[in-house]
Order: sequence, then structure tokens, then C-alpha cells
Amino acid sequence: MSWQDKFAVVGVGYTPQGKIPDRTSMSFHLEASAKAIADAGLKKEDIDGLIAYRHFPACPGEPDPTPQLLAQGLGIEPVFMAQDANCSRSQLHQAMGVLEAGICKYVVISYGHSGLWGGGFMQLFAQVSGNETAFGLFGAVGGYALAATRGMHEFSTGPETWKHIAMAQRKWARLNPAAITHGKPLTQEQYYASPMVAEPLRTLDCCQINDGGRAIVVTTAERARDLKHPPVLIMGVGQHNPSNEIAQARYMAGPSGAKKAGEAAFAMAGVGPKDIDSCQIYDCFTYTIELTMQDYGFFEYGGGEEWFGSGITAPGGAMPLNTSGGQLSEAYFMGLTPISEAVMQLMGRCGDRQLGPGTNTKEPEIILASDNGAILQSHSCIIFRRG
Amino acid sequence: MAMHKPIPTPDADSRPFWEACRQHKLVFQKCNNCGHVRWPAAVICPQCHSQDCHWIESTGMGAVYTFTVYHQAFHPAFKDELPYTVAVVELAEGPMLLSNIVDCDRAGLRCDMPVEVVWDDVSPDCSLPKFRPAG
Repeated sequence: MSWQDKFAVVGVGYTPQGKIPDRTSMSFHLEASAKAIADAGLKKEDIDGLIAYRHFPACPGEPDPTPQLLAQGLGIEPVFMAQDANCSRSQLHQAMGVLEAGICKYVVISYGHSGLWGGGFMQLFAQVSGNETAFGLFGAVGGYALAATRGMHEFSTGPETWKHIAMAQRKWARLNPAAITHGKPLTQEQYYASPMVAEPLRTLDCCQINDGGRAIVVTTAERARDLKHPPVLIMGVGQHNPSNEIAQARYMAGPSGAKKAGEAAFAMAGVGPKDIDSCQIYDCFTYTIELTMQDYGFFEYGGGEEWFGSGITAPGGAMPLNTSGGQLSEAYFMGLTPISEAVMQLMGRCGDRQLGPGTNTKEPEIILASDNGAILQSHSCIIFRRG
Repeated sequence: MAMHKPIPTPDADSRPFWEACRQHKLVFQKCNNCGHVRWPAAVICPQCHSQDCHWIESTGMGAVYTFTVYHQAFHPAFKDELPYTVAVVELAEGPMLLSNIVDCDRAGLRCDMPVEVVWDDVSPDCSLPKFRPAG
């Protein structure tokens, strides 16, 4: 039995994003969730499922941002709640499962973090967890840098490829007034002048660190028909969890979890890469995008420099990618950065960056989104279509 | 106050490894059923799920699987070390170990380069296995 086209995303909630003083992580969860519910045209009483993205360590002085606190603040009593602690990416699968089982009718998936003003991310990066910190391995950047170095060793990649990725997304951010880097163009010279964090990754290879939140509402395709916006159907999903910590990972240069997750999603959706009109790819680092797109089969192994260098992913290109600016240039909300952008594009609500004649791109029918967790340890691929 | 670097905190699974490190010995569990040499230390073999194993001593020889050079310190105790190299070393016996490469110019660093273990006695109770170019 296939889940193809049985479920839909029907609402998206945004909050202020960037450096936002005097706000807690929970305040972003609450604002994003409340706005997503209203955006779907639903009442809070309709929400019976609540899934919070990863439980980060609480920001200094804040309580743990648990789903219980979120439910309390929303004034709801869900019959299903979940939150992962370590960046697995099963949120949509969980939502679809409880909808399929008839346990829930409308599920909110939420993310909120006072990652910048609240100091959440620096606290996370400096966290002494695990014996590998004795050797100075800190932050996700170290793990992805190890993967990227191996990628450079096994196939033709490096900054020459990654600069194209960073620059193309900055062009999209130019069309998104809410993007943190809106109005800050990026040249090749600026890319190369950007400070090294952990070789081979520069600051401009890294995603934004920001405050803010994002949420979506998921329901059945049938219920979606009666709601406010044209529904965005989930054509296919696939997930794969290679799970090994970075020092035990043999998939740093691929095939990563994206390979099997992508194959599963394409099989469920009954489409292939040639049918995809746009990609919204989880982009914690530039290299993550290259590896993901390579494993999905959008270009030949080692062909990333030529593919990205052709401008295919930028405004006007044939495969618009991360059209909000993505996590590199818009804002970081875990998987909800790419997923919400895929949904908004298919709803036709993206303003100046809307795919179609205004951006000299194809009007989208099918958009692929990816989510990726920990150091390439968890991967989800979601293929959406206009309902 | 000077910041100290974090040191490993052995648990019930990894204690034999860290105890051996104090004697400058690199040891790993070898499965008595399938022969797989494993790290991190664990109660079962991830290949065959057998609990039957014994500890073997590694030659300390291996190759750099991958590496990164940190140019920013995420912990104050590492500020004076910059730039420093974190690497994954694939040991001759099979296990992959996260460590540092020392005594090596940046220009000399590359994947698959042969390395050998050297010991960093960070305290009377703790020695860390690090690696330098071999041969």
C-alpha cells in the first residue's frame, strides 16, 4: 500500500528571523505553530498531533523546549506527541503514520531556537560531549569538514564547486526580503576571502546561525481539500539512517543516506530526477548539497563543479535550488527551511522569488525537498506536488 | 583561570581501552565468532551480534582516512593550539579512530598517508593516542 498523494501540507508558519533580541526558543515555537495553524485555516482545537524538531540543550536561563511546554503554550491537548533528541529526521514519517492510522487528523511539526541572541548554537558547539572533544572535535562543521576532505580525495570537488553553490543561493536571497542575507550580494572574491573555520570549509560554506522558528501543518489529502490554500501533496517520501558517527562513517564521499532515501522517495512518487522542477535541499554546509544532489542522481559522480558552475541552480536556471536562499543565505530551521519553501513555491506564494515567468524559470508542478540530520547520519527525501 | 582541555571519561564499555592507553597500549575488541575488530567498545559485535570477544593490541600503524584543520577554537582551551588537525585514522587492524595528527606540516597532510601512534600524556591518569607520519 503506497502513501503516494495521500497526505498534504496545508499551512506554513513564519516568525521574525535573524538576530532577534529578547525572545526565547519557546516563543519562536509558539509563534510559528500558531501562525501555521491559522495559515491552514484551522483552529487550535483541530490540532491533535504535535511533533517538535530536535530538542537542543536549553539556551542559558531558558527551560527545555519540550513538546509539553509547546502544547501548554498553544493551549492544546494532543493525542500524539514526539520530539527527537539527536537529529534523526523522521518527523514527516511520524506525521504520516499517525494520520494513516487514524490516530490524528491534523499534525503540527515545529522548530524554534534562540540560536543566536540566546546563545543556543555557541553553547551547542562548545558542548563537551563525548570523548572526541579531547581531540578538539567541536561543532557540526568539524564533522562535515572531515566528510568534505574525504569527498575531495575520492572525487573532483572542493571550493571551486562550493563557491557556485554559495553564490547561487545568495542570488535567490536577493529576491527574498525575509532572508538574513537579503541585500548582501556575494562575489567569488568574497567567498575565497571568507575565513576558514575547519578546512576545507570556510565561513561562507556554513549555514546561518539565527533566532527564529518555522512550523507546518500536515493532514490527509482528503481533509486538505476543504482548507484555505491549494494543498501540496506528498507524492513520495524516503528515509535512510546510516547512523554511524563520523569517525565510523564510510559514506563521507557517498553514497550517503541520500542515495537510498532518494530511491525510496522517487519509487513511491513514480518519478525520477528529470521530472523534478526545483529542489529544496538541506544545506547545513555547501558540501552537503553537492553530496545530496550527486546521490540523488542529478549529475554524474564527480560532475558537481560543471553542474553547479553552469548556473543551473540560480535564478533563471533549469533546476532552481534553495529558492529562499536556503540555510546558507535565508535562515536555519532544520528541515523546515527546505520543506516550507517547497510548499510555499507549490502554493504560489513566494512573491519576487516565485518560480515561473517572474524568475525566468519553469512554473513548478513537482518539487523535491531533503532533510538531513547529525553528520550525514539521517536523511529524508520528500517529493511534493501541486494538489 | 586557565581552561583545561576536556579529557575522556571512560564508561563501563570503554574503560579497558582507556586503561590500556595509560600504559601506551592501543587495544580493541576482536570478535571470537566472526573476527571483526571493533571500535567503539561495545557489548556485542555490530557485524554478527556475538558477545564473545577478546582484546587485542594494535600495532598502532594506520593511515589517515580523512582530516580537517581547525582555524577557529570552539573551546577556549584550544585557542593556543590553532591551527590544529583532527583526523580519522584507519588502523591496520581495521578500526577507525578519531584523533589528532601531530609533527606534520600542513603541506604534508593528505588522505591515505601512513601514520603511527604517539602518546600524549595529558595527565597522570590519561594518555591520548595521537598519530604522526610514519616511515
